[in-house]
Amino acid sequence: MAKLLVYSEEAGVARELLAKARQVAGTQGFTEVGVVALGAAAAATAAIWGEWGADVVYTVAEPALDVYNPETYTAALAGVIEQVQPVVVLVGATKRGLEVNGRVAERLGAGAVSWCDDFSYDAASQSVTAKCLVYTGIGNNTYRINVLPALAAVPPGVFHEQAFAGHSAAVIAVPVAIPAARMRVLANSVKADTGRRLQDAPVIVDVGQGMRNREDLAMAEELAGLLNGQVACSRPISSERDWFPEWLGLSGLKLSPDLCITLGVSGSIQHTIGIRESKLIVAVNSDENAGIFAQADYGIHADLYQFVPALIEAIKTRSVTKK
Amino acid sequence: MKIVACIKYSLTLSELKVDPATRELRLATTPQRVGTIDRNVLEAAVVLKPEGSTVHGLTLAPAGAREAFREAIAMGLDDLTIVDSTNWAAGGPMATAAVLAAAIQKMGDVDLVVCGEASDDGVTYQVPPRLAERLGWPLLAYARNIALAGATLTADRDLDIGMQSVACDLPLVLTVTQETNTPRRPTLMDAVKAKKKPVVVWQPEADLGLSAEALQAAGGVTRIAQEGIVIARKEQLFQGDDMKALANQLLDALLAEHVVAE
Ligand SMILES: Cc1cc2nc3c(=O)[nH]c(=O)nc-3n(C[C@H](O)[C@H](O)[C@H](O)COP(=O)(O)OP(=O)(O)OC[C@H]3O[C@@H](n4cnc5c(N)ncnc54)[C@H](O)[C@@H]3O)c2cc1C
Repeated sequence: MAKLLVYSEEAGVARELLAKARQVAGTQGFTEVGVVALGAAAAATAAIWGEWGADVVYTVAEPALDVYNPETYTAALAGVIEQVQPVVVLVGATKRGLEVNGRVAERLGAGAVSWCDDFSYDAASQSVTAKCLVYTGIGNNTYRINVLPALAAVPPGVFHEQAFAGHSAAVIAVPVAIPAARMRVLANSVKADTGRRLQDAPVIVDVGQGMRNREDLAMAEELAGLLNGQVACSRPISSERDWFPEWLGLSGLKLSPDLCITLGVSGSIQHTIGIRESKLIVAVNSDENAGIFAQADYGIHADLYQFVPALIEAIKTRSVTKK
Repeated sequence: MKIVACIKYSLTLSELKVDPATRELRLATTPQRVGTIDRNVLEAAVVLKPEGSTVHGLTLAPAGAREAFREAIAMGLDDLTIVDSTNWAAGGPMATAAVLAAAIQKMGDVDLVVCGEASDDGVTYQVPPRLAERLGWPLLAYARNIALAGATLTADRDLDIGMQSVACDLPLVLTVTQETNTPRRPTLMDAVKAKKKPVVVWQPEADLGLSAEALQAAGGVTRIAQEGIVIARKEQLFQGDDMKALANQLLDALLAEHVVAE
């Protein structure tokens, strides 16, 4: 009985992990693909996970788990793992997933790796091999994990969700005692979802801190609009300036558009890991030595405030479009 | 009150190169320094420090690197403890958390431990949660807008989806992000004073009673291969003062690549 368990507090990420789990279940000899649903609300809709690839949904229907708290979620996930006894646990490497992953691993004495983007289980040797991004994506390490279960934190966007029509899941309630958390949650403010599907955009205009004011985004929007694209940004543009809810990079989205045009992005690897799968990268930066130029196909050494209006003008004059 | 700031002598990743032929990561020639996130750690610890409290630096690092910590000390540490990794054969976040936890326990009566959300180079995000678990304390991760009133800390946790405002009684492990604060620049005076601050060196085995071998086995994770990622780009640079000409050059290139059409 070699079970694989999937956990993410983000439903979209859990779907990505389930798709991968379902795809490899046969070849790697997993006898069961399970998913964890925490909270009374999640337990009530547990059956939906069947068509996303789960054989079993393990629920902990505690109302206390309806609000995310790392302490209660650690207790719940550790409890489920102890009772289900999987050999592999895929955990979505969101910030919430990562804080729970490390703590669960420590509690259970489980082997754990971060930034995993491929894995395989070998029944004969009772070990798991995991390929992981290291040094924020400059390299890959391959690890052998022989203290099971192997907890592998997988970044969002590495695998792709897939519906398995007609597949259904059994729902099993797992009794786990959830102790009161010492860290008290006072309030949650959730960023407004813009409903944009950056993953589907053929062109991405990627804005960095070289753009000074929020109003200046209009120029990026216009450029993107002319090329049937979308505007995305680096982490500080989201986390410090709050211009967009999502960002690109190691801890954010990873996109692979036909064309990515960066405007005022320095080229730190934590960011470029989010765009390096693009077919073509154009970088606009006023610093001749900016690291982004070595990671781009075409670099424009110019002030974006001068260059972007000129580019927009030229696109219009020559009626350039994105097919 | 006693605060411990955990900091790391880290690889400067912007200088880490991949050998294009062998795909080897040139780790040995990559310079090391106290990480940039560690400045945020030190700033947070020093700012929080109430009257009559002390802030102690803690690091697992080669004792030979002690000079590299001069500026960290100057940011406001009362002292620095280096757990010497020179002859320490255990790697990975599990062993690191074990070392830090043992050192914090040996320091005694610690109320607050501050870490970076992840180190500059390892970036596993595992050490703080593992450390909190070892100490049996809550983890308050990704904290911004941190305030301490008596023995209760409040903060906004910067999660992917938004902010989570929390309150937690000490003792606890706190992690900060590069957005948490703007680290101070120590003055010449601070640097001079830092020279007089004590630097204590402990050996993980002799002073903390740890076994590298046992920890390595318990961690259960062994690296079996390593490879740098090489992505070849054209790296063609266009420059000049005529923006219109630059724009047309770029459009010509994009048309030639067939990513756009005229
Ligand atoms: C653990 C960890 C995880 C991280 N994860 C991510 C992540 O997922 N995503 C992410 O994006 N970052 C991430 N970061 C942050 C990352 O290290 C960088 O700090 C960040 O990406 C830099 O953003 P930037 O390029 O927009 O800004 P900066 O580095 O400030 O660069 C701005 C650039 O704009 C140029 N510029 C300025 N003015 C002009 C002008 N007028 N015209 C043209 N160019 C101009 C400058 O020359 C400079 O190169 C992470 C950091 C850590 C420590």
